[in-house]
Amino acid sequence: MRFKASIQNISTFTKLTASLNSLGPLAWVKLSEEQVCFTIIPEQGTQVWAVLSIDAIFATISVQSAANNVINLEVPLTSLNRALKSALNATSAHIRLTKNDKLPILALTIVTTTASNTYSAFPAAHTGPASHEDGFDASFDNDIGGGNRETIVTHEIPVRVLAPDTVAHLHEPACREPDVHILLPPLMQLKSISDRFTKLALADTKSSTAATATTSRTRLEVAANMHGCLKISIRSDAMSISSIWTDLNNPELDPGHVAGGEHGIAEHPSTRMKQLGTADGRSDQGWAVVSIDGRDWGKVMSVGRLGGRVIACFCHEHALILYVYLPNDNGDDESVLTYFISSYSA
Amino acid sequence: MEDEEPPVLTAVSSSARQLYLLLRCIAFSNKAHVQISDLGLKLAVDEASAMEASAFLDKSLFTTYTFNAPAQSQNPPHPDSDDDLDPPSATTPTFQISLPALLETLQIFGLTDPSTSKPPWARDAPYPTSTTFTGNNILGGMNNLCRIIYDIPGAPLSVTLTEASIRTQCDLTTYEAEYTDEIPFDRQALALKVIMRGSWLHDAVQELSSTTPEKLTMYAKTVRGKPFFALSSSGTLGSARVEFNNQPRPSAYRTPASTNLADPPAQPPTNLLETFQLSDPDTVLRSSYKFSLIQRAARAMSVATKVSIRADTQGVLSLQFMIEVEGGGSSGGGGKISFVDFRFVPLVEEDDDEDEAGDDVDETIMRHGSGSDEASEDDDML
Repeated sequence: MRFKASIQNISTFTKLTASLNSLGPLAWVKLSEEQVCFTIIPEQGTQVWAVLSIDAIFATISVQSAANNVINLEVPLTSLNRALKSALNATSAHIRLTKNDKLPILALTIVTTTASNTYSAFPAAHTGPASHEDGFDASFDNDIGGGNRETIVTHEIPVRVLAPDTVAHLHEPACREPDVHILLPPLMQLKSISDRFTKLALADTKSSTAATATTSRTRLEVAANMHGCLKISIRSDAMSISSIWTDLNNPELDPGHVAGGEHGIAEHPSTRMKQLGTADGRSDQGWAVVSIDGRDWGKVMSVGRLGGRVIACFCHEHALILYVYLPNDNGDDESVLTYFISSYSA
Repeated sequence: MEDEEPPVLTAVSSSARQLYLLLRCIAFSNKAHVQISDLGLKLAVDEASAMEASAFLDKSLFTTYTFNAPAQSQNPPHPDSDDDLDPPSATTPTFQISLPALLETLQIFGLTDPSTSKPPWARDAPYPTSTTFTGNNILGGMNNLCRIIYDIPGAPLSVTLTEASIRTQCDLTTYEAEYTDEIPFDRQALALKVIMRGSWLHDAVQELSSTTPEKLTMYAKTVRGKPFFALSSSGTLGSARVEFNNQPRPSAYRTPASTNLADPPAQPPTNLLETFQLSDPDTVLRSSYKFSLIQRAARAMSVATKVSIRADTQGVLSLQFMIEVEGGGSSGGGGKISFVDFRFVPLVEEDDDEDEAGDDVDETIMRHGSGSDEASEDDDML
């Protein structure tokens, strides 16, 4: 079982792990030479199924295993994110699966070039990173390159190798065809407003009696219609507040991706929803509504730091599915993060 | 919004920021009383009946202000030279709302703190619908259209903010008004009236707050025809005093200790106290207040251009702050002037029990007031 890759896009990888980490501490990482999958399945809250093209993160990759050259790992995201954060200024970074005392680890080797030449406390060691795979985090001076020094730092992240059987029963949640699909406004904007909502509702419960304090979960209502409107709202004793975005885009369905082709689209729930509601969002009709936890939503919104288009699919009073397409150079949306948020029952 | 009956109040402001800046001055309580009249909106908060504060949103702050008295005929607007609102008449709708919720709503687009943290929308927006420029517009937020509607008595007060393609509506639950009596302040029986710059009062109170005092005592006296005004604080950690000497005599005693609060020694000295009226010039006016309550007005002091400090013969203190809010685009030129009022009930003076202490303080005041001693702004009276 071998895995070795050089990281091309450290900042994306860091932001990705940070966003995922807010939803759960452990990720199932499925590595293959075609794609990398990150899956977070917390006990409660939002599931994330991310499928990344190799070049979204890695420059080169090599994966070999007895099971169709696929490796399944359980990775602690906090450690991985911390290690990646220290690599933000690196000139290059590599990651590989290795063993330390028979325990599997992911070794992240970071090479940083500093222009400083006043600091020479370490003896020069002309050795490559390969011979230090079982050492602790270590720095080495490397005098190659005149005044520039190369610092090599290796982070070791303990992981668990998952047998194919262990993960065989894990599947993306199945969901019926959505009633409404809509392109979300910038997530950071959405997050900022919904965070204010959550704060308001929390402040209200805090100030009121203990009877209401038990329901400290803030229930945020998110709704959208097929006329470019998105609405978030929250209700408390003292107020009910809602924000409506208008002029958003409802992408057209691709007949090739809908069961039944053209006929399938005609029968699609969203086609029916198009008949209802208005573009100014003032009508009560045509909304697909889900009710979700405000704080959980805030965590999901943190993926906004990655940028990219986000399409939200609303299954009325059932679930909200977000497809976050990572921006990449060649214009294809090969990398997609899928968030499954189930609605509270009314 | 039925057609048959026009809403009690429809008010549209082109700048939520103006309203926010004014209402922030009284943001120390959870619930605010709202009183709608022909002249504007009055929001009032009180604390333990020992102090009350109110901000008056004059109808001139709004581009549209339509008030339809809910029942009977509306009272004619009271002519009021003092810019104080008269007690509510029976037909002015009065109710309570959650003040934090209103403030949060007014700043929902993050219009008040562009400096804090990084602007979340200013970063490169990956959406075709929102370019960098529209993003900045949301952030800058100087001209949020803000619409306040109060449909019928008992209905929620609905505040709608519109910014680009986002519309936020907040329906604030209206609660029954809790009190009807204001702290009585007799404008006809004024013992003292002082007008000065708000920032000077702010500086003085800030200075005094360093010892976390419990009590703030106000002294006023006319010394040889010259006004004398001092604020003194006392607490467990000690006491301190800030004096405002109008036109101090250019005596040799004047040391370089004078700061921005004291007058520059150059002639003629500018008047620290724009107005100084004492009903009885022969006696020392002395009145004490709870310091922590006075501090609630600190934000108003810091933004006010002028403050009018008045005390009536009962010792009730009224602080009236004149606040200029920037035009916001709708007003023709210059800032609009708004008023925020605070009233404080005095602490009961225990003159008889603390004879020595009281006399001692008065004597030092006299000494300083007569200009025979050094005129420091902070003076330990220990």
